[in-house]
Amino acid sequence: MTTTASSGAPDDRTSLPPVPFDPELSAALDVLTGQLGDTLALDDIPGVRRASLAQRPSDETLRRDGAFEVEERTVPGPPGEPDISLLVCRPAGVPSPLPALYCVHGGGMVIGDNRTGIDSALDWAAELGAVVVSVEYRLAPEHPHPAPVEDVYTGLVRTVELAGELGIDPARIVITGGSAGGGLAAATALLARDRGGPALLGQLLMCPMLDDRNDTPSSLQMAGLGMWDRTANHKGWTALLGGARGGPDVSPYAAPARAEDLSGLPPAFIDVGSAETFRDEDVAYAARLWQAGGRAELHVWPGGFHGFDVMAPQSAIARDARAAQLNWLRRLLAS
Amino acid sequence: MKELVGRLAALDPDAGAALQVIAYFDRLVEGRAGLESLVRGAAVLAGCPARLVDEERGIRIRVGTDGVRRDEGGLVGSGWMSAPLVAGAAPAVWLECDGPPGGVRAMVLERTAAAVRDVLERTRGRTPVADPAADPASVEVLLDARAPEHDRWRAAGRLGLRQTAPARAVAPWDGPPVVEAVTSPVARGPAAPGYGRAGVGPAVPVLELPSSWAAARTALRFTAAGTEQDPGPGTVYAEELGGLALLAEAVGPADEPIPDVRALERAIASAPWAAVTLHTVACATSLRAAAAELHLHHSTLQDRLAQAEHWLGWPVHEAHGRLRLQLALMVWRLHRDQRPRSTGP
Repeated sequence: MTTTASSGAPDDRTSLPPVPFDPELSAALDVLTGQLGDTLALDDIPGVRRASLAQRPSDETLRRDGAFEVEERTVPGPPGEPDISLLVCRPAGVPSPLPALYCVHGGGMVIGDNRTGIDSALDWAAELGAVVVSVEYRLAPEHPHPAPVEDVYTGLVRTVELAGELGIDPARIVITGGSAGGGLAAATALLARDRGGPALLGQLLMCPMLDDRNDTPSSLQMAGLGMWDRTANHKGWTALLGGARGGPDVSPYAAPARAEDLSGLPPAFIDVGSAETFRDEDVAYAARLWQAGGRAELHVWPGGFHGFDVMAPQSAIARDARAAQLNWLRRLLAS
Repeated sequence: MKELVGRLAALDPDAGAALQVIAYFDRLVEGRAGLESLVRGAAVLAGCPARLVDEERGIRIRVGTDGVRRDEGGLVGSGWMSAPLVAGAAPAVWLECDGPPGGVRAMVLERTAAAVRDVLERTRGRTPVADPAADPASVEVLLDARAPEHDRWRAAGRLGLRQTAPARAVAPWDGPPVVEAVTSPVARGPAAPGYGRAGVGPAVPVLELPSSWAAARTALRFTAAGTEQDPGPGTVYAEELGGLALLAEAVGPADEPIPDVRALERAIASAPWAAVTLHTVACATSLRAAAAELHLHHSTLQDRLAQAEHWLGWPVHEAHGRLRLQLALMVWRLHRDQRPRSTGP
């Protein structure tokens, strides 16, 4: 198991007993880890990227029998940087302007593309009558911080600029992402606040990756267990930040847990499993949003491993988690 | 998971898919998942809706491939794959797809049924594991200490008994032997309904069932019909007999009754109220309690006891006399030929 040199935390906390997985999730986890094999260890990032490319859903799949109009938009990237691509899925035959879900995919900062995990967003969009905009951002380690978050932020700015053309109501854009995407979404909300950028209606952060220090009790407690354990997390953050990871100079736009000021942010929805690395950093982030006078809804799903709602969507607990996400969006968009 | 499920369903029953199905249900059982989780597992892994129907216990659960429970679902299709919870019983678990038999789906079905049985044994306490009438031969082998261990294991498997769950034998007064799983050694429950008059053996590991059966048959000898002429408990648990079990070894139907039993028989023959009155007094905490139970005035009971003591030849008011009466009643029951008409050694 990897030790974080910088944390300074006594490692006796590794003796904390792990939180048991929910029985249905535990059963699914066995099958999943059997099939995924070593991919989660991130030892072969190019190999994992090739494999996930093969599973990329086609336009045809995304159209869902004509329910959505699908296009890829190439828009200018951050100043002096390459263009970026926005995947836009618009409900067919629904009058504009519509709210938008601005999606940031997960993948530990190192894998995935703007179609990864898009299913969840399309489900919401179909229910809510919303446009899905999913941003393609550059990945670490080839493109370390700040490339990924600057791409995500720029994509958001471009979405607002193109709002009329895309049939989007710019006042009703919710940023959403899971895992690394949740971290980048939270960071983008901080950037938008600090740069006076687009006003977001809300931020939906699913088991977000927020803290490069990787030394919370949950991170230590669940080491070697479930999905995206402490070792994988160490690799992801190191890819993004190199030697700066865990040190004193990490930007809050890389690791939002580092932000000292969490005031003035859009309403947040945060969910996380009780049996995963990110539990404590996500709970702490919600608590700090409240302490800053903000609005946040927090769900900690008992016995949930990282990404359980996407990986085992049929389980009872995943269906509850998905319902909670949709209900929050519904309330937010009705406000 | 969607992809993996698709792959599982499409796969031939090669070792990999089979192991995954087994591991999936083992985990659910380990985690003490409920019935709905098990049926959901079946639907998800098999890639078609699954249902569990157990009319006797009032259980109807139906789950779609998306994991959502929808109990309404119409009639069972004639070609659907199904499995009973125990060998020889009616089908209880269904996959809503037509065969062919075999493959990963057959394994899903089999594992679901086994896991459901586990949950029922755990949550319903005492589950008759099989209709003995459906498989009397297996029960007979299981209760026969002389049968090879290997054969008794196989019989246990056919009856749906698991190595880990203790089981006990029940000797009904009127009917074939019963073997049932017991979740906890202390699970006793009320006088077993279903059997009528019966002796119940202790919960033991499956291979020790012959000893449970022997104890059940001993316990049966202490039972009574519960009538005026034969008052006493209808169900007797071997574990509650204590030292009385030793009496059963010492007294057989053919033995000459001791004088106290002769005296008791005389008393019972002398008055229609004698058997019930003496049994009630022997078991009650006080004469006053006995009078209340018999719906008699206290003084009426006193009169009857004076008469009975005359027939018996010893006083039943004080502790020693009561013990003597209790023993006489027990030995009196043991003298009757109560061997169940049943198999076993």
